[in-house]
Amino acid sequence: MTPEEQRFLLVGAGLFVLGAIGFITRRNLILMVLSAELMLHGVSLTLVTFGRMHQTNEGQAFTIFTLTVAACEAGLALSLVLSLYRKSHSLDIQLWSELRESDLSGPVLDSFGERGDATSSYENIPKLTPAGIAPKDPPRASTSASATTSTRT
Amino acid sequence: MMTWIQHHPMTIVGLVLWATGILWLMPGKKASKPRAHMIGVLIVALGLVTFCLSSGKAQSEFADDVMFWVFAIGALMSGVLMITARNPVYAALWFALATLSTCGLFLLQHAPFLAAATIIVYAGAVIVTFLFVIMLAQQSGAAGYDQRSSQSLFATISAFVLLGAISLTLQSEKIDIARPSLDVVDSSGASSAATENMGAAIIADLPSTDITPVMPGNVMSKADADHPVGNLKGLGKSLFGDYLFAVELAGTLLLVASIGAIAIAPRREQGAI
Repeated sequence: MTPEEQRFLLVGAGLFVLGAIGFITRRNLILMVLSAELMLHGVSLTLVTFGRMHQTNEGQAFTIFTLTVAACEAGLALSLVLSLYRKSHSLDIQLWSELRESDLSGPVLDSFGERGDATSSYENIPKLTPAGIAPKDPPRASTSASATTSTRT
Repeated sequence: MMTWIQHHPMTIVGLVLWATGILWLMPGKKASKPRAHMIGVLIVALGLVTFCLSSGKAQSEFADDVMFWVFAIGALMSGVLMITARNPVYAALWFALATLSTCGLFLLQHAPFLAAATIIVYAGAVIVTFLFVIMLAQQSGAAGYDQRSSQSLFATISAFVLLGAISLTLQSEKIDIARPSLDVVDSSGASSAATENMGAAIIADLPSTDITPVMPGNVMSKADADHPVGNLKGLGKSLFGDYLFAVELAGTLLLVASIGAIAIAPRREQGAI
């Protein structure tokens, strides 16, 4: 590995790491998808460098397939983002961390920062039907307590 | 590892400066004023230059060196500014600049077709779609969730530990790669010395020897003296010869993805966005 190839690999690793930081830290849905694309750039650069190191065209051929998958991913991700935006009228990712049954306890959110403006503004989320039929007359206190816990789970 | 730290102190300093600048620039921190933002950008630029200077000297020409510095620092700097931008439109535009710089690096790697294809696909299609969606979804100006970042300290530290480990691996060990010499492989498929040895074992098992043995390695995509790496002819032979089924599959994937995107995206009769 010559130093010239080594520095191309370093730049590819840097792009990948930057995309990873952006994917973790940003809370905008679109920016997360963009950061994933930045990671793909780093991978493409690394693949091209590997192909040049081994004197084959396979690195470039594989990068073209990466490009194809990236284009598909961008289209699908953006249509998913649009349909999520229709439900919540916001691009905040933390709204969707509350995607759970309403009677369960919430997730531990962002314990190192503030909750932000993550107010859940969406309705019409589907609810699972509770399992089983609730007993008509609870015979004893202990079994009714276990019955209510079983309906919750 | 200690010898690596002793031999490459510039890399460590560059990485630390770079991470500090990213943390400084992250939304939700102090860098909301323009002057503080400029200080953060300067810290990142200093770290980047230090990191790139320490990443090994090449024996290439001076012009190639300058091109590499411009494209590498441009790509990494636009990446930093993209992930720290408070406005998503600016983030998309910085991503376009990072894409252009990456295409410049592709050109330096003798991949002109790839550079052109990446520019067409990304700058022509992906960025435009992203900008369209941003303007469709964020009509009410700056949103609160763009002004904060979640867990930026841990994310930056762990990511830069990863980057430091990668640079340690790349810089400390001599990785020897068995480079095929360019005159070994004959593009006409006539066997050279190396391929004959590999094919002999296969031929010995076959009942008739007049069948052309299928080589384990792809002969077509190997570069030779007539078709060096990055030659369009060699790349086309590789794509439409070795990877013909993969190309067809990629076309099918594009079709399926476009149908899926149309099916997932909100309809007009479901109301406005």
